Amino acid sequence: MKQLILDTLVTGMPLVTSVIGIWMIFRLREDFDLTVDASFATGGAVTAALLVKGSGVVPAMLVAIAACGAMGLMTAGLHLLLRVPVLLAGVAMSIGFYSVDLAIMGTPSVSLADGGTLFSGFANLSPDQADLATIGVLSAFVLTVLVGLGLFLRTEIGLALRASGVNARMARSQGVNVRVLLCFSLVVANGLAGLSGCLVVQSDGFADVNMGTGTLIAGIGAVLLGELILRPTGSKLLRTMLALLVGALAYRFILVGALRLGLPATDLQAVTALTLVTAIAAERYGRPLLSLLRRRITTIGPPSRAPRAAAGTGGQ
Amino acid sequence: MLTLDDVRLTYNGGTSAEVRALRGVTLTIPAGEFVTVVGSNGAGKSSLIKLVAGEERPTSGRVELDGRDVTRLPVHRRARDVARVFDDPRAGSLPELSIEDNLALALSRGQRRRLRFAVGGERRALMRERLAVLGLGLERRLADPVGLLSAGQRQSLTMVMAGLRDPRVLLLDEHLAALDPGTQRRVLELTTAMVRRLGCATVMVTHNMEHAIDVGDRLLVMSRGELIADFSGERKAALSVEALVETIASAGDAVSDRMVLREEAAPAGAGR
Repeated sequence: MKQLILDTLVTGMPLVTSVIGIWMIFRLREDFDLTVDASFATGGAVTAALLVKGSGVVPAMLVAIAACGAMGLMTAGLHLLLRVPVLLAGVAMSIGFYSVDLAIMGTPSVSLADGGTLFSGFANLSPDQADLATIGVLSAFVLTVLVGLGLFLRTEIGLALRASGVNARMARSQGVNVRVLLCFSLVVANGLAGLSGCLVVQSDGFADVNMGTGTLIAGIGAVLLGELILRPTGSKLLRTMLALLVGALAYRFILVGALRLGLPATDLQAVTALTLVTAIAAERYGRPLLSLLRRRITTIGPPSRAPRAAAGTGGQ
Repeated sequence: MLTLDDVRLTYNGGTSAEVRALRGVTLTIPAGEFVTVVGSNGAGKSSLIKLVAGEERPTSGRVELDGRDVTRLPVHRRARDVARVFDDPRAGSLPELSIEDNLALALSRGQRRRLRFAVGGERRALMRERLAVLGLGLERRLADPVGLLSAGQRQSLTMVMAGLRDPRVLLLDEHLAALDPGTQRRVLELTTAMVRRLGCATVMVTHNMEHAIDVGDRLLVMSRGELIADFSGERKAALSVEALVETIASAGDAVSDRMVLREEAAPAGAGR
């Protein structure tokens, strides 16, 4: 169990920032930006390529994040100038950047085992201590982003951003330039996905050209799971930020748990898809089922048995 | 001051589906004047509002605010001068967000938005003060999501939002249509009080002849994209619902039931 939690945190923490980025488009803009699949991989590819060339960790990460922000700007350009829907623009980007990532790395995968990463210093520690140290560094990144975004969304510009996603027509009539904010959120969202890619390649010790596939889907699943667990609403930003963290980790927990149960790694994509569908179904039908459950508990059975029975009939 | 100079608006120009929504409207509304606009469906009332708000650009003609040409300015760049209350209470607010967030957004209307907290102590005090005037108890519910409010409460809130930053033009687009008669009366009182306080040019589109006659300084009648009558002063004071209906009917337009129904007799939500 301890190892399960450590694995969840080590592999889940780097993904939180990409989940935040996906949330910015999915919930704040009510749209799907598939560019994150590409920017996640590009973030990893750029970081790996620069580190292998001997660049420092900080410049490598900054360049990678900037490149991914620029990708968000390209998607915004496709959408605003050519009037391509965001989803379609993202598809084009994610396919196109596969080749770009290959060109950046030169090979389909690059190993960072020789060191020079954010986590290389922990190599001499015992495995458990190395994990804890890694989690500490990752948490610092994640908390900085969460607190920063939470505070930003409370500002006048942040409020305008939230408004433009809920009711663009009204936001415009209040003087909000919706187009500029769309560009801004795409740049930030992809920058965050890029940061995620940076962190993943460094903690995994290698970069792979396919690593971005499924990022958006997994992120949507994580957002939904978090909302299911914490039920945040519009103006409750602290709760919303917490839901993102919890959702991302819960999602990862399910995947790591499936691996631990002996599922081959090749089945993970199926687990991802199933978790997403289950989260959507639970979001849709979970609440009525839950209230039914509560009523039953209070009216008839002892609380220890009733939930299991009801969950058994409802879940299958 | 709002000026429209021979404004024309054609949808789908040059095709078989061509609709000429406005066919040359020329109009000047000085600051402080409260104008009501009536007309049957398709008369061009909503097009007029959209044109002033910037949601539509005229096919030809000019729109000016205080002598400044704003014809080609998009909605968000006119927002400093133009406040608008939509016909649908849902359209003018953010249901998921709290009352204070909604008000904070309107407090920055047309201002340069900065990286400072949108809701603070000083702003909250102003919000409470403005909401207290409504007498709905909303000043004690700043953190509640707007989605929890009734249609009347929401429309009252959007009225307050429109008046937070003094606009040069206030646009009221059938803003009573979705409300029940009792609430209509209350929001209408709120409207006249607010218009008096703001002292800006006000355009109120309504389908209710009584409202159009009872409030405001000037009454415009539209038909098929043109202004066909302009009553003010004593001529407006002497108007009756019957005479107004006659004016519209004589232009060849159908007068729908909801336009002549007395307020008391109108079923709840008749406007939708």
